[in-house]
Amino acid sequence: MDLPFKMLVAGAIGLAAGLWSANSVLRVSRAADATRIGAWSTAAKAGTPEADPYTKAAVERSGEIPLAPGEGLQLIARVDETGAALNPRCVYFVGRRVPAARYWTLGIVDRRGFPIDNVAQRLVFRSSEILRDSDGGFTITVSPSARSGNWLPIGKKEPFYLALRLYDTPFSATASAIDKDALPRVVRDGCR
Amino acid sequence: MKASIPPRVWIGAWIEARTGAWAGAWAAARAAVLNLVRTAILDLATILLGAAIIAGLVHVVAILIIPLYATNDAFARLSRLGPTNATILLPQAIAKARLFPYGDPAVAAAFCRYDLREGPLRVKAPVARYEFSSISFHNRRGDVFYALTDRAAMQNALEALVVTDQQLRAISARESEDESARELRIVSSTDEGFVLMRSFSQAPSLVTEAEERASALKCQPESPPQ
Repeated sequence: MDLPFKMLVAGAIGLAAGLWSANSVLRVSRAADATRIGAWSTAAKAGTPEADPYTKAAVERSGEIPLAPGEGLQLIARVDETGAALNPRCVYFVGRRVPAARYWTLGIVDRRGFPIDNVAQRLVFRSSEILRDSDGGFTITVSPSARSGNWLPIGKKEPFYLALRLYDTPFSATASAIDKDALPRVVRDGCR
Repeated sequence: MKASIPPRVWIGAWIEARTGAWAGAWAAARAAVLNLVRTAILDLATILLGAAIIAGLVHVVAILIIPLYATNDAFARLSRLGPTNATILLPQAIAKARLFPYGDPAVAAAFCRYDLREGPLRVKAPVARYEFSSISFHNRRGDVFYALTDRAAMQNALEALVVTDQQLRAISARESEDESARELRIVSSTDEGFVLMRSFSQAPSLVTEAEERASALKCQPESPPQ
């Protein structure tokens, strides 16, 4: 084989592999510099000029409008507290506390960040509507089948993430200062 | 088999060592195939090495240039929803609304796009007490350059003037020294951008009210300073 032909083949394979890898990286993981705290991760710099190139590209491609540091903070859990990916066939207990914030919400999103339809029409739990225990703590049951109390339904048998949004929180500019114990635990209870 | 001995010599020696046409032919064929396999592996390795280097370069370049093109970012998507300066309510973030990911179904949001080439933009929004509302300012590159929450409200309203660097200098030059600026002026690094107002609903039944609060955002272009 002569050199120009080899270069052509290498160029074609390289171009395809480079574009494919860039695309799949943007699709799967957001934020190269995400802060991981237990099961949760947050890209506090998303939407600011200091964001890393991967976060910038991912935000551009997805069309997401990130929360400004002064408004609040979004944390995403893709795994439970043992590090295992969230499974739509399992039941999870999420609780019992949340970092200081004026309001917060906890919802289920699919891998692209959109809510997942469910028969109960329950896409999100607000701090203002949640049932609390006598000590002020709470437990949200994330489950495919109906539960008593705070039930956040898993609408479809597809991979999902948990999205915790804190509004008007002192931690929005210093996400790394959040203590692991201040965030809700994500505990797997059982699977079908 | 040593690499320094040319295959033909090697094949010749092999044929000499054996008598009989069949053995010679077999040996020649075997050597030829071995040679072919060896070149093929070398060629393949060269191609793969080149491809890996090119793939790495393409990957880095692609990640870096995506934000520069910004053909399908939030601003581009908002542009398709309505004209500049108009306040437009975003649909609630439910499973069917697939335009802006990671939206909160509990938070209503309305936006207006601006273009400062026509003059500064006056942003005004009444805010209710005890309800979380915020206004964020985004430039064309998708960066948030300022945000206000209802805690910064004066007389139950949030107000700001979005200007370019040049416009700010023109306004400051016109003002007398003892007259202090009584308004919040925010410099946008790009001529275009958008303002987003968010309002929190404390219960599912209060989403409509939150949407009304968010829709109360007003974006008024002003005449450019002389």
